[in-house]
Amino acid sequence: MKLHLKIWRQPGKDHPGKLEMYDLDGLNPDMSFLEMMDVLNDRLTREGKEPVAFEHDCREGICGSCAMAINGEPHGPNDGATTCQVYLRSFKDGETLTVEPWRARAFPVLKDLVTDRSAFDRIMQAGGFISVNTGQAPDANAMPIGKETAEQAFDAAHCIGCGACVAACRNGSAMLFVAAKVSHLGLLPQGQPERKQRVRRMVEAMDAAGFGNCSNQYACEAVCPKEISADLIARMNRDYALSLVPKL
Amino acid sequence: MSANPQFPGFLRTSIGRKWVVAVSGLFLIGFVIIHMAGNLQMFAATPDVINRYAYFLKTNPLMLWGFRLALLTAVAAHIWAALSLARENRAAKPVNYAVAGRKSRLHVTLASVTMVISGTVILGFVIFHLLHFTAQVVDRSYQEMETVLDGKAVHDVHRMVVAGFSKPLISAFYILAMGLLFFHLRHGAASVFQTIGIRDRTLSRVIESGSWALAAILFLGFSSIPVAVLLGVWKL
Ligand code: HEM
Ligand code: SF4
Ligand code: FES
Repeated sequence: MKLHLKIWRQPGKDHPGKLEMYDLDGLNPDMSFLEMMDVLNDRLTREGKEPVAFEHDCREGICGSCAMAINGEPHGPNDGATTCQVYLRSFKDGETLTVEPWRARAFPVLKDLVTDRSAFDRIMQAGGFISVNTGQAPDANAMPIGKETAEQAFDAAHCIGCGACVAACRNGSAMLFVAAKVSHLGLLPQGQPERKQRVRRMVEAMDAAGFGNCSNQYACEAVCPKEISADLIARMNRDYALSLVPKL
Repeated sequence: MSANPQFPGFLRTSIGRKWVVAVSGLFLIGFVIIHMAGNLQMFAATPDVINRYAYFLKTNPLMLWGFRLALLTAVAAHIWAALSLARENRAAKPVNYAVAGRKSRLHVTLASVTMVISGTVILGFVIFHLLHFTAQVVDRSYQEMETVLDGKAVHDVHRMVVAGFSKPLISAFYILAMGLLFFHLRHGAASVFQTIGIRDRTLSRVIESGSWALAAILFLGFSSIPVAVLLGVWKL
C-alpha cells in the first residue's frame, strides 16, 4: 500500500521546524507504524539524508516511549493502543498522514518527533514512591488487600507514563498521569503513610513543570493507550482537598 | 487543632483554584435556580404575588445585603480563579497540531471550549441587568411605577418587567444571555462534580444528562418571561 507522510522535522531544541512530505509505496498493511518509520529511515539513510528521530523501545505497548501524534491524535486513531501497536491496515491506501511530536510547553521538542518528557520524572520524584526499609522482600500475602481495591490500584498502575494525555489535552494538562500515579499508591495500604504529602507534592511539581489545568473535557481518557479513567482525576481532586484538612 | 502550614498555598495550585471555580460556580447555580423560581411568580394569577415577593426582599436589608455580599464574593472568586486557570492553559499549549484530531474522539464540545466567552457575555449581561431592573437607570421611569398592596404604596415590579421586555432588542439580549448561560452550565454544572471529586463511571451519565436538563430548564424558565411579554400575555 501507499502512504503520503507529512512529518515534523526540527534539527534541534531551539531551531525552527517544519512539516516535510515523504511518499512511501509498497508498504505491507500488516506492518506496524514504527516499522513503516524504519522503512522510511532506511531510505533516508541510503539517500544520505538525516533519518527521522523518534523514540521507541519495547514495541509492544508497555514502555511508553513511542510518542507521536498521527493526524492530531496522540498514538494515532485506535483506542487503547500505543503508536507501536498501530498497524498500517488502520489507514486507507493512499491516505495522507501528518505525524507530529507531542505538543505541550512542558514537553519541549528536542529533535523531530522526540520531546523532553523529564517533567514526568520530576513529578515522580516529588511523590511517586513509598518509603520502606530495604532488606528482604516482604511476604507476598502478608498484607491483605481487598479484591476491589487491588483491581482499582492495578488499573491505575497500568499508566506507562507515555504523555499522550498531556499531548491530547487542549490545556497541556498532566492531570490524568498524575491522578493515575497518586491513586495507584494512595489506594494501597503501603501508600497510606505518605498519602497526604504525596498528592500535595505531586500536584505542586506538576504545576511547577508548566502543565495546564484540567477543564474536564476528557480527551486524555480517550487517547490513553492504557485506558486510564478520568474518574481518577476526580479522585485526585478529592484526595488533594482532604490532604489540606488540618489534623485534629 | 494545629494549623496546616500548606494551607495558604492551595489558592496557588491548579487543583486549589479549580475548587474555587467549582464551589463558587455551585453557589451561583443555587442562586440562579432561586432567582428563576422567584421570576416565575410573574405568571401568578395576579401581579400582587411577585410585587409582594419583591417587597419582602427589599424590606429585609440585612438578608438582602448579606446575600449581595456573598454573591459578589462568589462572582469575584469565580472569575479570578477561572481566568487565571484559563491563562495558564493557553500558555501550556503554545503550539497546536497542524492537523486537528477528530472532535468526536477528543470530546471537543462547543460548550466546553467557549467557557470564557460565555462567562464574559454573562458578566456583561449581569451588569446591564443590574442597571436595568435593580438600579433602574436604563429607563428611570421604572422608579416611579407604583401600585397599592395591602393598603401600602409599593414598587410595581410586575409592570416594570412588562415595560422592560416590551422593547424587542432588550428582550433579545436577555434571551441571548440565557442561551449562553445554557452553554456555560451544560459544561459547568457537570464539571462541578468532577472537580469536587464525586464522579465515577456509573454517576457520569446521570451527571451529564442532569446538567444538560438543569441548563435547559434555566434557559426556558428565564426566557419564558420576555417571550410572554413579546407575545402580549400582559398589557401595560
Ligand atoms: C451566573 C453566573 C455563572 C455561573 C452560574 C457559573 C457557573 C460555572 C460552573 C458551575 C463552572 C464549572 C466549575 C468547574 O470547573 O468545576 C464554571 C466554570 C467556568 N466559568 Fe463560570 N459561571 C458563571 C459566570 C461566569 C463568569 C461571569 C465568567 C467570566 C469570565 C465565568 C467563567 C468561567 C470559566 C472560564 C470556567 C471554566 C473554568 C475551567 O474549568 O478552567 N463564569 N462556571
Ligand atoms: S495516563 Fe495514559 S496517556 Fe497519560 S501517561 Fe499514563 S498511560 Fe500515557
Ligand atoms: S515502543 Fe514501547 S510502548 Fe511503544
